[in-house]
Amino acid sequence: MTKHDVVGVEELEAGACKITTIEGKSIGVYYNGNEYYAIRNVCPHQQVELCKGKFTGTTLESKPHEYIYGREGEILTCPWHGWEFDVKTGKALVDPDRYRVKVYDVSIENNRVLVHMD
Amino acid sequence: MEASTTKKASKFNHGIIDCDVHQGVKSYDDLKPYMPRVWWDRLKAHNATLPFLMFRPIPLERNDAAPGNGLPSGSDPEFAKVDLLDRYNIERAILTGNLLSISAHNNPDYAAALASAFNDYTMDTWIPSDERWLGSIVVATQDPLLAAKEIDRLGSHPRVVQVLLTSASREPYGQRRYYPIYEAAARNNLVIGIHGGGEGDGINPSTTAAGYPTTNFERHNILAIHHMSQLNSIVCEGVFERFPTLKVAFIEGGLAWLPHLMWRMDKNFRAMRNEVPWLKYKPSEYILKHVRLTTQPIEEPDNKELVQMFQLMHAEKTVMFSTDYPHWDNDTPLFVLNKLPEEMRRRVAYENAAEMYQLQERGLLAGGVAK
Ligand code: FES
Repeated sequence: MTKHDVVGVEELEAGACKITTIEGKSIGVYYNGNEYYAIRNVCPHQQVELCKGKFTGTTLESKPHEYIYGREGEILTCPWHGWEFDVKTGKALVDPDRYRVKVYDVSIENNRVLVHMD
Repeated sequence: MEASTTKKASKFNHGIIDCDVHQGVKSYDDLKPYMPRVWWDRLKAHNATLPFLMFRPIPLERNDAAPGNGLPSGSDPEFAKVDLLDRYNIERAILTGNLLSISAHNNPDYAAALASAFNDYTMDTWIPSDERWLGSIVVATQDPLLAAKEIDRLGSHPRVVQVLLTSASREPYGQRRYYPIYEAAARNNLVIGIHGGGEGDGINPSTTAAGYPTTNFERHNILAIHHMSQLNSIVCEGVFERFPTLKVAFIEGGLAWLPHLMWRMDKNFRAMRNEVPWLKYKPSEYILKHVRLTTQPIEEPDNKELVQMFQLMHAEKTVMFSTDYPHWDNDTPLFVLNKLPEEMRRRVAYENAAEMYQLQERGLLAGGVAK
């Protein structure tokens, strides 16, 4: 496992995502104000740059015509067809077993955000 | 035939013709020079005059296709050239514009003036910017005589290949009031393109045949119903008998419905032929001869079923590739085309469109690959 220094904690504002290349892979490092996440910048649908999408919340499971908003900052929506992904697991909200994007472990050391690659 | 599973773009040894790219204006004020003063004040109220009833949770224009400086996606030809044509090695792309609710407007004179201005803008800013762009003349169908005038005004331009109508209309397109449009298209040797847009807006009938849906999800699932209705009308009313050289492209309406409609039409024709004595052939034969469909937004079954679907609809003749750039549901060539067996892929990516728009004959191909 190798740790890659990507960005200083003070450089990444809440809600922002920095796209960078690590070991030849495009990866988005995202901070939701609470936690840091590293997500492969490739949508499993049509292989476009997923991390250029919107980091947001979503409607939670509910009864017909009931709307409950939640998971603010935990959902990444693809800039193309709008598929939603869980930033923690990389799984698509619809069809999570079939479609997932790779996520990497992240640690903070000396105020730097490090992405772990295996 | 084996379905190819390769993901490599380099597999293409031929170009791609993209049959649906949406160019737009930077600002509606850009149309002023092309429009009589009397309409100028309305331009700013473009959306207020013709509101989209349907909220779209995913914006129509892809954010990552925005050219920068706050400009809307699809408004900068230089950016689109790199972002679309160069990136995917697209040899020719047919521009379809973004006046997609023009025929929903209640005022036929304003709609016609806006369409003319948009066409002039396209001719001045997009067409000269790169020889890969080919143009469509968008017309407002509220007044077919005005539409025919517009077709004659620009139809002889060497890089114009199509007349564009939106799939929503007050009456189905097979009916006689639209003949002036078909006459003008035939006279100028242009394809009629019918592109989704304006369903349920303005003076047009409801978004679905059963009424207005609640969500954009529900609307988008049933988009094809307008294309089906138009194709049904055009064939049954005998438009292809009346205008034997006419070709019609159905753009952005999906595909999988075509076998269903062809089978149903042919079956009913056996029983009810006497209602339409002008039809000399089975409806499906008119379709295979005169009608083509574009891929986007393609249904996404698994690969095997996709290839089966393509075989059922004779895709080697009937299907042309399109991206729908820069709209949210656009398809990359790598995604759709790579799922097809080689022979079918070549037909869909390139040759069907080259034939439909007579690009070889018009001297509009670069590579001259089409047979
Ligand atoms: S490419 Fe991401 S949802 Fe289609």
